[in-house]
Amino acid sequence: MLLDAVLSNREGSAARNFILSAIWWSILGMGAGMLGGLEFSMPDLIHNIPQLSFPHLRMWHVNAVAVGWLSMGYVGAMYYMVPSLAKTKLWSERLGNFTMWAWNAVMVGAFCTLINGSTEGREYAELGAVLDVLVAIALVTIAANVYMTVVNRKVKKLYVSLWYFLGALFWFPLVYIIGQRTFVALPGLNDAIVGWFYGHNILGMWFTTVGVGMMYYLLPRLTNAPLYSHGLSMLGFWGIALFYAPTGTHHILQSPVPEWLKAIAVISSVFLLVPVLTVLTNFFMTMKGKWQQVVTDMPLRFAVTSCMFYLVTCVQGPFQATRWVNWYLHFTQWVVGHAHLALLGTFSFILTSAIYYGLPRITGRDWHSQGLIRAHYWLKFLGFLLMMVSLTIAGLIQSAGWAFGVPVDQWGLQIRPYWGLRAVSGVMIVLGQCIFAYNAFKSLYTPAAKAADAKTAEVKA
Amino acid sequence: MNGYRLGAIGIVITFFTIITATVLLPMVLFNPVPSKSYNKYVKTSEVNPARGRQIYVREGCFYCHTQFTRLQDRGYGPLVKAGDYVWETPHQLGTARTGPDLTNEGGKFPSEWQKAHLINPRAVKPGSIMPSFSHLSNRDMNDLVSYIQTLGNQRTVHAYVEAPAEYELVYLPKKTVDTNSDAAANAGRGIYTQNCAACHGLEGEGNGPNSISLEKKPANFTRAFYKQYPDAFWFYRVSEGVAGTRMPRFNEILTEEERWYLVAYLKTLPQNQEITVDKLDQLNKVGQVHLPKLTEQEWEPHSGGN
Repeated sequence: MLLDAVLSNREGSAARNFILSAIWWSILGMGAGMLGGLEFSMPDLIHNIPQLSFPHLRMWHVNAVAVGWLSMGYVGAMYYMVPSLAKTKLWSERLGNFTMWAWNAVMVGAFCTLINGSTEGREYAELGAVLDVLVAIALVTIAANVYMTVVNRKVKKLYVSLWYFLGALFWFPLVYIIGQRTFVALPGLNDAIVGWFYGHNILGMWFTTVGVGMMYYLLPRLTNAPLYSHGLSMLGFWGIALFYAPTGTHHILQSPVPEWLKAIAVISSVFLLVPVLTVLTNFFMTMKGKWQQVVTDMPLRFAVTSCMFYLVTCVQGPFQATRWVNWYLHFTQWVVGHAHLALLGTFSFILTSAIYYGLPRITGRDWHSQGLIRAHYWLKFLGFLLMMVSLTIAGLIQSAGWAFGVPVDQWGLQIRPYWGLRAVSGVMIVLGQCIFAYNAFKSLYTPAAKAADAKTAEVKA
Repeated sequence: MNGYRLGAIGIVITFFTIITATVLLPMVLFNPVPSKSYNKYVKTSEVNPARGRQIYVREGCFYCHTQFTRLQDRGYGPLVKAGDYVWETPHQLGTARTGPDLTNEGGKFPSEWQKAHLINPRAVKPGSIMPSFSHLSNRDMNDLVSYIQTLGNQRTVHAYVEAPAEYELVYLPKKTVDTNSDAAANAGRGIYTQNCAACHGLEGEGNGPNSISLEKKPANFTRAFYKQYPDAFWFYRVSEGVAGTRMPRFNEILTEEERWYLVAYLKTLPQNQEITVDKLDQLNKVGQVHLPKLTEQEWEPHSGGN
């Protein structure tokens, strides 16, 4: 039946479809990033094709990896994790699949518009009005689906991951609707204030909250160890809820916006160390005595790498938000490196871990090749390290250039080798992602005789 | 069960408090008065800067170019005020500077330069990594350039001025010095060191010892801006000084011939930026003109040692 083919009611189909869509958009999004990176070192690589000029690629890259890859992957992971934590089925697989189609329609629309330069001109909120409405609808249906699943739960207490997921699904639709400001025109600086409320909270109120929730889900499961402290985990949750939302203004610290707003932003940015340290204490204490498993268990290796990057990015963040460091580092590639550290290093890794852990349990088919998982890990890990190092050094050269008033064309050439390294790192990461996609394709769509002895879902609490 | 309800209520209250404090409150409390220095998009029959702004947004220029000068940014013109941005929606403040800040870009370069820069950035700025925007239609490009030329025009005073007609018509024809020759430049160097270096610095970077005490800082001749000057304009500047600064009128100090020699030398100062190449790799292969550097003693013979 057509309805069943389009809006499947099979258990786990929504989660699976979301994850597969995420992998697909990740290749397009990261590919655009890679091409943009190549254009930094070879500015005349592509000539006279506006769709492939750097700003258009960047616009698409940001939206594809944030809305396509990470968000869709997150929803897929939540559709798998929430039922397993609530010990019940997903409230409505049909609704889930409907959301999946809506979200993919958004991504197709985003691809067609952004790559052609049809943009609202606001960083991270470039999508047009129609797409904004669609995303908002999708977010609300997702929230409804997850909330109803939790309402129907068979367990009494909510595990901390559920707190994170429910929190994120409560506040992120609001942040998104406020941040897109599609139907209002605010005067320039007010536009910037709201813009950075959104721009930073798409990270804090969505990527961080869901990502940390996934860490809390994955680490105890992968290591077969109980979570170190539930009290500490709640402290972390409340820390994020309290301190993350006002931090956005630290992006415009030197612009003429009100000082009190900047003060709130800087203070809450520094206070973010509290949730971060509680989260990481919890993770590393849970990992105690289990480190040797990282050698063999690939999902765990992805998760632990993610936690390590989380530590680095969350030490960098408050440091950069303080006025005197911001004075020096703002506007440079250091910040770009930091953003990649958060989204690619931390949350993309934890999502990858969730997919490597969850997909076999959703579909009942084991991964096609462990070797390819390893290749994916090393390409992505080393590629990312290379990117981080090159962007950080490039950023330091740039910041010295700005701080000492040297014209751009004098220090610009000094950065060329680092642009080159960054391009190489982009190629490595995209290659890793292609291997990932190939592996997923092989394991799901090859008629597998091995499917019977796959690691099927033994549903653990 | 009660615990969850309390928790949920707590989350809701926390979140709405934060939204009120950081989104709604600034909208209510922060209403800057429009300043006189906002950008004026004056449409003419040829160009439409307001449309140029839309192209600026469409082409994503703000991903690499910021539009707010900070306290520490030297050489990027006056600081911005909150009132400057009242008509700037969507805001183009930007987040990263892969290229220079454009807050006060208007008038820094002639429009033809800006257009050449859009079509082939590396032809006019060898080290640039800006993508070529040659795919823009002629109208788009003209509008975009006119938008760039409005940036900061109400804020800055260095709109592109031209020399008065008498310098083109009277002085230029009776010029006796070949201002493109090395000999004239060498002759001009001595005049420069005696008359100009104290403020403009030995290397013409605007960092001479007197510059410390000057409120209006001396010009930095190594900036690309100055290589746009035609001979007549240099001669006019040197002769008449710069109004509003301590720059003297050298037509009362130097002879006409000496001023031409000086022009010849000044033209050699930004030499290293005048080189245009097709590829970055060729950059180091083009020979540069290196004038012999003066020792400190030659520069200031009366220093008397330690």
